[in-house]
Amino acid sequence: MSITQIALPARGVRVRAAAANGSPALLALGALVVIFILTAMLQPGILSVSGLTLMLMASVPLVLAAQAQMIIMSVGDIDLGVGYLVGLVTVIAATLFIDQPLLGVLMIVGIFVAYAAIAYVVQKRGVPSIIVTLGMSFVWLGIGLQLRPTPGGTTPEWLAAISSWRPTWFPAPLIFIIIATLIGWYITRRTLAGTRMRALGSQAPTLEKAGISLVRVRVSAYLFAALLLTASGLLLASQTWSGDINAASEYTLMTIAAVILGGGNFAGGRALPIGTTLGAVTLGLITVLLSLINIPSSLQSAAQGLIVIAVLAGRILIERFSR
Amino acid sequence: MTDTTVTRPRRTFTWPSWGWSLLGVIAVWAVIIAVRPGNVFDPLTQALSLAPFLVLVALGQMLVITLGPGNIDVSVGTIISMASYVSVAVGGTAGPIVGLAAGTMSGVAAGLISVLAILLLRVPPIIATLATSLIVTSATLLLADAARGAADPGLRAFVNAKVLGIPVLAIAVALLTVAVWFLLTRTRLGVGIIATGQSERAAERAGLPVTAVTATVYLTSAGLAGLAGGLLAAFISPSTVLGSSYMLDSIAVVVIGGTLISGGRPVPAGAWTGALFFGLLSGLLNLVGWSVGAQNVLKGVLVVLVVIVAATVTGTGRSSLRRLRDNLAPRPVAASEPTTQHKEKIHG
Repeated sequence: MSITQIALPARGVRVRAAAANGSPALLALGALVVIFILTAMLQPGILSVSGLTLMLMASVPLVLAAQAQMIIMSVGDIDLGVGYLVGLVTVIAATLFIDQPLLGVLMIVGIFVAYAAIAYVVQKRGVPSIIVTLGMSFVWLGIGLQLRPTPGGTTPEWLAAISSWRPTWFPAPLIFIIIATLIGWYITRRTLAGTRMRALGSQAPTLEKAGISLVRVRVSAYLFAALLLTASGLLLASQTWSGDINAASEYTLMTIAAVILGGGNFAGGRALPIGTTLGAVTLGLITVLLSLINIPSSLQSAAQGLIVIAVLAGRILIERFSR
Repeated sequence: MTDTTVTRPRRTFTWPSWGWSLLGVIAVWAVIIAVRPGNVFDPLTQALSLAPFLVLVALGQMLVITLGPGNIDVSVGTIISMASYVSVAVGGTAGPIVGLAAGTMSGVAAGLISVLAILLLRVPPIIATLATSLIVTSATLLLADAARGAADPGLRAFVNAKVLGIPVLAIAVALLTVAVWFLLTRTRLGVGIIATGQSERAAERAGLPVTAVTATVYLTSAGLAGLAGGLLAAFISPSTVLGSSYMLDSIAVVVIGGTLISGGRPVPAGAWTGALFFGLLSGLLNLVGWSVGAQNVLKGVLVVLVVIVAATVTGTGRSSLRRLRDNLAPRPVAASEPTTQHKEKIHG
């Protein structure tokens, strides 16, 4: 800590840097507030503890998955397998955890091994992560279909208990969302591993010259992501009480959009956990809002697509003008 | 063998980048014949009847991927589904050819959304095309509610027609592949596509119309997907999930075919070998009785393996047997960074 204090630049520079770094997250916050007000105007019932709980529940697994995507994107990669991996974890939780707990745990371990292997291959062979994770998404989908061709099953009681915990004084999902953000924030901003991940995304050659194994850094990033994705899948299963390989297929787009919305970029080197959470909750609330304003279900995905484009375009325009 | 190539480096045989997938096609073909003895050409003609649709989509995807890192079109799958309804609905009143054209144009219209988002709003292509695919999904659902019908019998006959056992459609798409190859190697647009993929900045400095090239490529990809959707509507029937497998498959086929995933090197012939490989493989797996899940796992593993092998073989873009040996045999020299750095220091 003392080292960072010595190296601190002048206050003016810091404030300006914070504004530049935080402005994209501010946009996500603005969008969130607007959508929240709209939702509250349409349905005042959400302003109670139970209302907030219902409204934010769907955002909890999304926030966790978005934090994972943020970590992957901070090293300059993109994970296109997020959606099916989260779905696979719900299938494992709702199928194997009851019948063969040991096999279930082994498969979760297998996911971690696979993620470490992906990171190794991406780093060592210079293979684009988009294609490897795209290929892996076939694998997750295939395993999920093999285990459970149709949605169903039941989750173990301990898992179901997590989401049925509903304190009367505070919306429980908000607690989970805050915890998820803190985990993401701690990993990327407060640990040495997190600093190295961001360095790998922005200045890989410098990091290597500092004598740090790039493979190890990338593997650690992917392992943290696997951890958060597993948690996301388990929480999703505990909310839906069932396993469905397609339960989270839209997460792939939504997590990437959440990271970008929250101020992240495709080039890597940036990890903004709070912005990412704000982005994920915003996208989750859009779904709630769309269902409240009674547009036909067939038009919902179009509205979602248009909003994602609009918000991202807004962010990119703001970034350009603030410079 | 090693000695001869080292002493005569100029005479080395350059292995075509689609060669690996051709080997895969032959291997799977051989296995099918071994598993189910019968007419030797049966499996191939079967694969040839489904491959043209995938090749159509893959050619567009190849052009997009050639544009460089980050360029990918993930909207092709949903465009196929939408175009299948459009072509059937329009074809029912205005005739099959107008129907096909309408399907193609509906794809181009969807591509226009992506292009506007990418070029005007500067949204990254993957997000732009994902958003387009969401919008197209809605359009598909609306069309599915409104229109029900079957494709024109004449068009149906055309997509199923065969000459000497070879599907007419396969011949047509093969001609199109040649046209794409001609476009890429002999025209200003094609050179612009490849140059943009190799270095967008350099292409821009050289005065190439990078924006127009990008727009053309995305519109072409979407249009080809629309055409494939219109044809598939006649070959199978319109459905909301008709194209869903084509998104991943088209990317996989392009990569397997040897097109450089980082852009700048398209391989039109690879679209064919990749698509035939995929078609034969799923035929084989169905024959052996693998489930859909297991097939997906194998498909995924294959894509990953092919990408890894391709990355090992192609150092900077040209693929040759010699490079494979260089990369595989003396691994410590080729793979580890410190040695090369050390070398540079000595030279400097």
